[in-house]
Amino acid sequence: MNTSHATTWGRGFLLKLCLMALVDALGVYAVILAWSRQSWVIAAFLVISLIAANVVYFSRRMTPAKYLLPGLFFLAVYQIFVIAYTGYAAFTNYGDGHNSTKDDAIAAIEANSFQRVPDSAGYPLTVLEKGSDLAFLVTEPDGSAALAAADEPLAPAPEATFTGSKATGLEGYTTLALGDLLQRQSEILALQAPLGEDPSDGVLRTPDGSTAYAYLPVLVYDEAADNFTDTSNGDVYRPSEDGRFVDDSGQALEQGWRVFIGAKNFTSVLTEPSLRGPFWSVLIWTFVFAISSVALSYFLGLALAIVLNHPSVRGRKIYRSLLILPYAFPAFLSVLVWQGIFNPQFGFMNTQVLGGADIQWLTDPWLARLCVIVVNVWMTFPYMFLISTGAIQSLSSDVMEAASIDGAGWFQIFRLIKLPLLLVSTAPLLISSFAMNFNNFNSIYMLTEGGPLKHPTDQAGSTDILISFVYRLAFSGVNKQYGLACAISMMIFVIVATISALSFRRTGSLEEMN
Amino acid sequence: MRTRPTLTALAVLAAGALTLTGCGGSSDTTDPVTDASTPAAESTGSLTIWADVTRYQPVVDAAADFTAATGVEVEVVQRDYSKMQNDFISQAPTGNGPDIIIGGNDWTGKLVQNGVIAPIELGDNAGDYVDVAIEAVSYDGQVYGLPYAVENVGLFRNPALADSTPGTLDELIAKGQQLVDEGKAKYPFMVQQDPTGGDPYHLYPIQSSFGATIFATAADGTVDSSKVAMGGENGARFATYLADLGARGIITPNITADVAKQAFINGEVPYVISGPWNIEDFKAAIPDVAVDTIPSAGGEPSVALASVQAFFVSSYSNNQLAANQFLVNYVGTEDVQLALYEAGQRPPALKAAAESSTITGDPIMKGLAAVGATATPQPNVPAMSAVWTYWGPTQVAIESGTGGDPATVWQEGCDAIDAEIASAS
Amino acid sequence: MTSPAIPAPVTGEPLAWPSGSDTTSPEPRRGPQHWLKVAGWRHLVGLLALVFALFPIVFVLSGSLNPTGSLTSPDALFSVFSGQNYLDLFSDPRYPFADWFRNSMIIGFTTAAGSVFIGACAAYAFSRSRFRGRRAGLLGLILLQMFPQVLAYVAIFLLLMTLTEVFPAIGLDQQLGLIMIYLGGALGTNTYLMYGFFNTIPKEIDESAKIDGASDARIFFTMILRLSLPILIVISLLSFIGTLNDFMIASIVLTTPERQTLAIGLYQYVNVSFSQNWGVFSAGAILSALPVVIIFWFLQRYIVSGLTSGAVKG
Repeated sequence: MNTSHATTWGRGFLLKLCLMALVDALGVYAVILAWSRQSWVIAAFLVISLIAANVVYFSRRMTPAKYLLPGLFFLAVYQIFVIAYTGYAAFTNYGDGHNSTKDDAIAAIEANSFQRVPDSAGYPLTVLEKGSDLAFLVTEPDGSAALAAADEPLAPAPEATFTGSKATGLEGYTTLALGDLLQRQSEILALQAPLGEDPSDGVLRTPDGSTAYAYLPVLVYDEAADNFTDTSNGDVYRPSEDGRFVDDSGQALEQGWRVFIGAKNFTSVLTEPSLRGPFWSVLIWTFVFAISSVALSYFLGLALAIVLNHPSVRGRKIYRSLLILPYAFPAFLSVLVWQGIFNPQFGFMNTQVLGGADIQWLTDPWLARLCVIVVNVWMTFPYMFLISTGAIQSLSSDVMEAASIDGAGWFQIFRLIKLPLLLVSTAPLLISSFAMNFNNFNSIYMLTEGGPLKHPTDQAGSTDILISFVYRLAFSGVNKQYGLACAISMMIFVIVATISALSFRRTGSLEEMN
Repeated sequence: MRTRPTLTALAVLAAGALTLTGCGGSSDTTDPVTDASTPAAESTGSLTIWADVTRYQPVVDAAADFTAATGVEVEVVQRDYSKMQNDFISQAPTGNGPDIIIGGNDWTGKLVQNGVIAPIELGDNAGDYVDVAIEAVSYDGQVYGLPYAVENVGLFRNPALADSTPGTLDELIAKGQQLVDEGKAKYPFMVQQDPTGGDPYHLYPIQSSFGATIFATAADGTVDSSKVAMGGENGARFATYLADLGARGIITPNITADVAKQAFINGEVPYVISGPWNIEDFKAAIPDVAVDTIPSAGGEPSVALASVQAFFVSSYSNNQLAANQFLVNYVGTEDVQLALYEAGQRPPALKAAAESSTITGDPIMKGLAAVGATATPQPNVPAMSAVWTYWGPTQVAIESGTGGDPATVWQEGCDAIDAEIASAS
Repeated sequence: MTSPAIPAPVTGEPLAWPSGSDTTSPEPRRGPQHWLKVAGWRHLVGLLALVFALFPIVFVLSGSLNPTGSLTSPDALFSVFSGQNYLDLFSDPRYPFADWFRNSMIIGFTTAAGSVFIGACAAYAFSRSRFRGRRAGLLGLILLQMFPQVLAYVAIFLLLMTLTEVFPAIGLDQQLGLIMIYLGGALGTNTYLMYGFFNTIPKEIDESAKIDGASDARIFFTMILRLSLPILIVISLLSFIGTLNDFMIASIVLTTPERQTLAIGLYQYVNVSFSQNWGVFSAGAILSALPVVIIFWFLQRYIVSGLTSGAVKG
């Protein structure tokens, strides 16, 4: 016993040792890489993960952790991060017009505010270099050459040399070739050479390094005062709390930035009048949709699994393989086909199956709801079918045998023994499937976009579930409001998770099986 | 559960040894990489362009010549058109976006509002482009895109069924109906719609012939996007007309793009309103297919919406100089515009290219250009998002006769749009 | 709380249900009446289910054979038979279908294998160990899956972008990066499914093995995994199909056409404004669904076999 023990431990341990060495080597390499790229968060996360891995796998205890760690690692990196980020964005005004940082907004406002000096010509341009300073050598409309730089207003440069009619060189300066232009393009683009001593004369700028134009900035940023002044009328735009530059009359510049706005997204969801009106009817339909989708597809899948799980059925392999096709098909294609089938004028349903009937499948509120459920069941029953086929294999034969010896009929065995057993082992799936459907944005959106609308200006359509309804609120206006949508996601998550957690507790599906 | 302490120690040592070799190897390899990549990020002479599948190949070909001439590498990335605008808005600020994207002119306002594109200086060449194209990419007094193609719908006619197009839409429908009665056609006339979103873009020539334009345009050409101009009396007349066509089954939400295209290809309908994207398939089925101007329904000239395809430069690009060179001095030339036309069959935006014999010699292009001559650019202001939200569904409701009096339904739709626009400012 | 109507789960050998096991030899032929009673109605149910399942797919099949077809017109069903669309799939360099197909298979198989392994490990811990926070952990894993993913694309892009800067190999436009994201979802409902199945494997098996000196890892890898083969195969198939059909995440990560998957690639055929290419798209969809059917065809016998019983007895 002692010897056999040693060998098993030895081999297993060596394997573990090699694996851990590999993990550590990779991990340390990654940490160094992250460190060298100054990604401190990644580096710290990796160090913690590595230490955890070593502690867990070289400890004699913590057996469960040994099995959980790989999954938890990926979970933390990919899933938790997404949720955390959504939670963070929910407290900001992220959305159209508030897309990035304040610095970016200032840069964008400045860039957009340069207006060409009216009736000014374009100047053929050669970019010159003296030391590390850049200068613009331009050819004036009258054919003469002139030089300008950041702190040197435009002045004639009679000594310039010409290539054709374009001034291309100047004594004491180096002419930049295309490669140099590209090397220093950010500097060249940023260069503003004054046209005269008076700032209102404007500046020369070049977009492409080969032509310069005269511009006047309309909005000028004052860094010290942190505000923009409109040079045409003297209006001053100051930063506001909601991340925009606003003048005294309340007029705001278009580009704003992202700021924290506290719980405003959450409160605005709760106080939004357009949300409160249809909220309850939408919520009820959401439950109906989710519950009936799950129940119908589950029973359909289960029934088919049981019916086809019989040796007397020849060709059951073919049946099974074909039955999973709806699940294997790209959903958006299937939905498009279903839409075509339900087209009242040209669709297969009305023209062929019902011989020219005029049934408004997707525009009648109740029929549309029915269609949405039918299509959803069609797309998901193969999943249930697969799972049931697998789960049936875990049913103990003893009970079945005992039952059939007792003279119980097929249906009795099913209803009293198989179904309850299967329900116990699949209940959590049903609950999470319910949660999935509760948020099944795609199924609804692809088929009906939440419609039909009773009235085209209604906020909620007949098939709108909670998530499609609130996303429409966040995205349908002039500006997309990601922050608001994130807040809504969080709130729906809380609702669904609470319902599900309660159901888990009620069904006892997480209790011990043995 | 007993490991010997010595073994554990050994394990740690072994792991440590491997770790050391690991980091020894790594430091050798990382340093040159970091050294090389840091300046590359600042960058010189390489452009990344996002293009959808229809523009991908033409742009790749055009870029190859540019690279040969300037040494600037151009990488074209194929992106999904429907996601490109949003992806660009969210990715550009991270510094990982492209230098240039190719998209519809209707994106302009949103891209400017989010600060992700920079103005383009066309210099004195702005007059070289067709007016509608420049207007389409102008926003708030600045030009933001280099236009390269102007797309608009026209009336496609099957000459085997109808030899001409009458002067008014009513006459056209009557003529189509006659063909139906004679058993030569199955439907008199079709405009593609959609059961949920409608299709205001394809319906616009009809709507505009009632004078119900999207926004009011002042005498100086500025568009007032603070409220829509589709409502009122003109809008009411259009709504009533549309409701009538809907009741007669001529324009219904059930006639999807797919249905309309198939019916035209099968020779079941003499007239459809469609655009350059279907030319290839139409020509394959009906080689002598003709394109005419769309007859007026409401008395005023029917005006189509022109959607202009343009190149936009990212304001976060480190290669704006190269990007501007590529666009202004290269894509804006006749040869390149014609090459893009050859590859994508979209009428060029540069006058010289649009007026070249390649285009004017093609009857279909000529027909589309005739419609395009009076077309108005698709509005590019952010307020259009709110317009699209209600515009289509309102038309669907009117076509299918739900919701009651069409004029009221229409006006309510317009009021809802105005309310959205007001709440955003 | 288990309601009294539901009998307590049984802890017996996880034998396949005899009357339902495919391995049981077919019953000897009897009269047609008996056939009707036993198998006939089953065929009827099966056929009805097939009609329901396949009826929309028939349209796709018809569309795939028609070079100018649409998806709506029913009278045109199978009016044209042409393989042109299938040939087109492999001849347009803008749409590298063969690459997509290969990528999808690689990503699908790797993800399926990886997530079954990760999930099975976790399920084993939950099933066999007793530790603090076990039930909360199990519940938490399932609840996490319920997070509405509609907005996740911004977060995923940011994450991948950050990773690209440090580890380009698992960053943007890398298939490995995509696989890692999928593995992030490996713990969840699938774990629960396996947990449930592991629970039906009697503990006595592990205990006797332990007495024989087998380690935890040995028990897990050589016994539990073998005994639960049906569920492992079901899960890997589910994971494979899920990966194959994912459009949202894949389209964020993979941008180069040659690196993309079937779901992203196929979508491009129809997502061109106004000029959808239904025929080729349908052909592509048919081809992309084939592997699933074929794989399921071959794996079925492991799912519904009596393999478990043999292993337990041995």
